[in-house]
Amino acid sequence: MNVDGPDLEDRYRRVLRLLPGYYRAHWEDDMVAAYLDSRVTGDEDEDDYVFEFGRPAWPEIASVAALAARLYLGGAGSPRRYFAWGQAVRRAVLAVVLVHAVQGLTDLTLLAWRRHQAGWLPAPLAGPVTGTWPVVLQDIDCAWIVIFLALVLGYHRAARAVAALAVAADLVAMLQVQSAGIMVRPLAWWSIWFLLGLAPVLAMAAFHADAPPTGRRSWLLAMPCYYLLVPVPVMVIQATGNQAWLPDSAGLGCLVVSLACLVHAPRALSRSHQRADSGVWSLALTLLAAVAGAWRVVSLGSYLRDPHLINVSLTELFILAVAVALVAPDAVAQITPPPHPRPR
Amino acid sequence: MTGQAFFVLTALADRPRHGYGIVREVAELSQGRVGLKIGGLYGVLDRLAGEGLIEPDREEAHEGRLRRYYRLTSEGRRALAEEGELRAATARVARARLGLAGGEAAG
Repeated sequence: MNVDGPDLEDRYRRVLRLLPGYYRAHWEDDMVAAYLDSRVTGDEDEDDYVFEFGRPAWPEIASVAALAARLYLGGAGSPRRYFAWGQAVRRAVLAVVLVHAVQGLTDLTLLAWRRHQAGWLPAPLAGPVTGTWPVVLQDIDCAWIVIFLALVLGYHRAARAVAALAVAADLVAMLQVQSAGIMVRPLAWWSIWFLLGLAPVLAMAAFHADAPPTGRRSWLLAMPCYYLLVPVPVMVIQATGNQAWLPDSAGLGCLVVSLACLVHAPRALSRSHQRADSGVWSLALTLLAAVAGAWRVVSLGSYLRDPHLINVSLTELFILAVAVALVAPDAVAQITPPPHPRPR
Repeated sequence: MTGQAFFVLTALADRPRHGYGIVREVAELSQGRVGLKIGGLYGVLDRLAGEGLIEPDREEAHEGRLRRYYRLTSEGRRALAEEGELRAATARVARARLGLAGGEAAG
């Protein structure tokens, strides 16, 4: 035994700190014993060396990290706060994927509009997409429709696989654009790719075997509702030549999340409703507000030379901050452990 | 029931085993095709314990470490028997459809 520094057992215990405290209290000693058993070779000298200098293997660390993700983003049977985190992340992921899917629907609408333009309709503002990589990016938008439907209908593994492909294709397209030297403000582009592409795909780990089924009907209904309430009015405003009144995508994201927070605020502020589900929605909206706010901030670089647009963007951020402040206390209450009863 | 859970319950069907004992037994049962990681194993054990299908049997000291053994509950035995029957029936139908020996006529 090495008395001067950590040995293999200490290193395994350090890795297991990734797991929530309640889980470690129950399983840690048992897991450490199993890990150490798995390293025994039967050769005394070799075992002494391994137990003193050996390190946990990367696949072992990865399996603990996967277990930690499943426990922190809890499903049925998890402690209340971890279940709340799991439900909130699942809803936030569904909301982001919904926005991507509706963007795909919008792309398809514009395609159909251009090809079969009715005489009474004005031409769409956005011109046809040309060039290999813009077409690839548009196809990726359409793939999100499949990902959204797969997530809602419970085909989680298929959704994760297609989403990973979509994000990887997005990555290749962006690398191509950057290597061609035509990417303006790469930091903003990569930040947005992380926020709206990679992070939601990683967060799909919340859709594990213990996750309760998604409310299929509500989420399936959300797609046409969101399409009619956001992209259709946007397309109408653009087609009628009033696009100067429209916020950009990041601003639109801030306003949509702010509106959702305001709609939910009466429930979040009320004490008479069933707290659990309201708190989960408050937490999901707080996560979405963080994403929308970060998106707005990283996009500000586009307007550095236009004080008016900077002011508009800061106003959008202010509206978002006020709206999320209405639901954030409910979200915090949901993930705060209940106080221990005071001893008499 | 997931494939991993089925293998873990099967590993515990004849006698109680400790964590690493289950990993070795699953590898043997699956002829090396299922390599359970310890992290994955304890995810499965936690779920099975939560569903009341397994329970702790005893603890034994071994080379300075405390090994905890697990066994099937009566509910676990029933669940394993049902799942085993379902998988065997599916395998019989598959063999029949492939025209292999040991299959049964599918209706």
